[in-house]
Amino acid sequence: MSEPHDKSRGPAAVRKAILSGLRFTSLRLRLVVVFALVALTAAVSASGIAYWLNREAVLTRTQDAVLRDFQQEMQSHASALPLNPTQDELQRTAVQMANSSQRFSVLLIAEDPDGNVVVGNSDLDTFTREDVPASLRKAVNKEQPLSSNNKAAYHLYWQRIVVNDTPYLVGGTRVIDGGPTGYMLKSLEQEAKDLNSLAWSLGIATALALVGSALLAQAAATTVLKPVHRLGTAARRLGEGKLDTRLRVSGTDELAEMSRTFNRAAEALEQRVAEMSAREEASRRFVADMSHELRTPLTAITAVTEVLEEELDAETGSVDPMIEPAVRLVVSETRRLNDLVENLMEVTRFDAGTARLVVDDVDIADQITACIDARAWLDAVELDAERGITARLDPRRLDVILANLIGNALKHGGSPVRVSVRTEDDDLLIEVQDNGPGIPEDVLPHVFDRFYKASASRPRSEGSGLGLSIALENAHIHGGEITAANAPKGGAVFTLRLPRDASPLIAGTREEDSR
Amino acid sequence: MTFVPSLLLIEDDDAIRTALELSLTRQGHRVATAATGEDGLKLLREQRPDLIVLDVMLPGIDGFEVCRRIRRTDQLPIILLTARSDDIDVVVGLESGADDYVVKPVQGRVLDARIRAVLRRGEREANDSATFGSLVIDRAAMTVTKNGEDLQLTPTELRLLLELSRRPGQALSRQQLLRLVWEHDYLGDSRLVDACVQRLRAKVEDVPSSPTLIRTVRGVGYRLDSPQ
Repeated sequence: MSEPHDKSRGPAAVRKAILSGLRFTSLRLRLVVVFALVALTAAVSASGIAYWLNREAVLTRTQDAVLRDFQQEMQSHASALPLNPTQDELQRTAVQMANSSQRFSVLLIAEDPDGNVVVGNSDLDTFTREDVPASLRKAVNKEQPLSSNNKAAYHLYWQRIVVNDTPYLVGGTRVIDGGPTGYMLKSLEQEAKDLNSLAWSLGIATALALVGSALLAQAAATTVLKPVHRLGTAARRLGEGKLDTRLRVSGTDELAEMSRTFNRAAEALEQRVAEMSAREEASRRFVADMSHELRTPLTAITAVTEVLEEELDAETGSVDPMIEPAVRLVVSETRRLNDLVENLMEVTRFDAGTARLVVDDVDIADQITACIDARAWLDAVELDAERGITARLDPRRLDVILANLIGNALKHGGSPVRVSVRTEDDDLLIEVQDNGPGIPEDVLPHVFDRFYKASASRPRSEGSGLGLSIALENAHIHGGEITAANAPKGGAVFTLRLPRDASPLIAGTREEDSR
Repeated sequence: MTFVPSLLLIEDDDAIRTALELSLTRQGHRVATAATGEDGLKLLREQRPDLIVLDVMLPGIDGFEVCRRIRRTDQLPIILLTARSDDIDVVVGLESGADDYVVKPVQGRVLDARIRAVLRRGEREANDSATFGSLVIDRAAMTVTKNGEDLQLTPTELRLLLELSRRPGQALSRQQLLRLVWEHDYLGDSRLVDACVQRLRAKVEDVPSSPTLIRTVRGVGYRLDSPQ
């Protein structure tokens, strides 16, 4: 059952695609349709009126001339006939009458002296008594009452008939005081032909007007749509961040006004963005300068605190026990301040884009061991890594990443922290998993944010609040990534993915000869 | 009587100069100080210290220039003190001939360790010699001659050459060389090795741009070979 249904869906889909391709709502199509409709209405009504007027004029003129002629012929010939003419006399008169300039056939009807109806006609083949419509005969033979307005007892009547697809004019009248009744038949074929050709001409003219209107509509649509298309392209470029996009303004029409408005908007936007980035740049530089400036006094303080520290550690007990906690506090806080400034410097280097990679060939297992050894974490970290996995990366930056990830795991998850290393295609994967409660779902997206604290009420932690953010930046500069997740069995898992060769990212910074 | 190394500290900031002088003196060094590059160069001629600790940012001629001027005549060790760990500074410093660098805020202990490591590079340890083509390394006299001519090498350059010559034909990684020559931990800056190799090549190779003695082993490091 479903198969034929499926088959029928194919063409339907194609048709739908074609329809949507044509876009009946498109401005171009709408313009063409409207233009065509207007042109059609105008052409058809103009042609109709012209045809109708022409037809009336032509027919009336011909008719009037023919009927006038017929009347004259009747007066000059038929009224000259005796009251009861013979067949021959009628025939002769009819032929005489038909010889007039208008070329009509004549039929004369009278009563001969014996009281018989006699008929005389000019063309026996074409015009007989039967050709005259009964209604006309009746009207012609009807005696009109005489009055002041009507001076004749019989009137001239006419009618248009169609015999064998040829239009004819039939007219008839009766000579007053018992004269013969005369009918005439005039072919209107010539006039019909003329009117036909007029109709054809008008039809062709209408068709031409339609085509012309369609072309005009196309042209109009193009003149309107081209700027609209340009505007669309420009708006897209603007959206892509090319804020220096401007439109060429030509003319003074509404479209030009629209282009001008677009340009003004783009300019304002560019200016606003420039202002904002300048402000951002200024604040970044402030942080950078600030941390630079902090370094100088910090260097002096650090050097001196070390002297104090050595004094504390010396067994001579030269420091007053009352002062000792104060000295220890100064020493530890100075170290922390050092770390903070160091991290700030690192962050500003990333923000300013001046951070560079110094790559070297590194054995990952050795590097991790050295990292945890240097920080006395050997007892708290389980390392699952084979020796011999090497990568080309910046060892100092890898150390920063590892120290931050492992340090974070130890702080929040507690030992043991599991670090495992494996390779996947051209990538190196290092997983750091802890045994803690994991990361709450609402915190997960923010773990790499600077100075992000899981809750406002949480006490200030040991770290600078920049550690994970710096770790992430260091992964990014290698073309790598760090993701945070919760393991199914509990505990947070940070996965560091780095390309095994980061040197393509620093094209040409290290001279290497191939010898 | 033990050897007390004499240092020259060139640093313009009073607080840092005083603090570092205090710290280094407590570590057992004799410290002379100068506040500008010009004063430092004058003191260098008068006192002939064993090592110079040089700040990069100095009024007047800067640390890099001081370093270059010293290198024109002297091969004594120089440790740069840079407030900016911006990479370009480090590279420029190493190119101008510094043996090592320390980033501010510097810990006195770290600086002391670096100073001692640099000074140890001049110590002799064996009594033999090795020949690589026209290059003769006399480990007893701690001299290097090329075509019979004495080469002026800094202690760091000499130590690098000695470490390489101890394992002829064997490639040493930058990290290994950093541990052997600079005594840095696992995070040593490999550019120190690269810069030193460049300077060494400029002195020992016939054509420094196409080295025949100190070869680069791609993906590993460097090795010293007799020319084929």
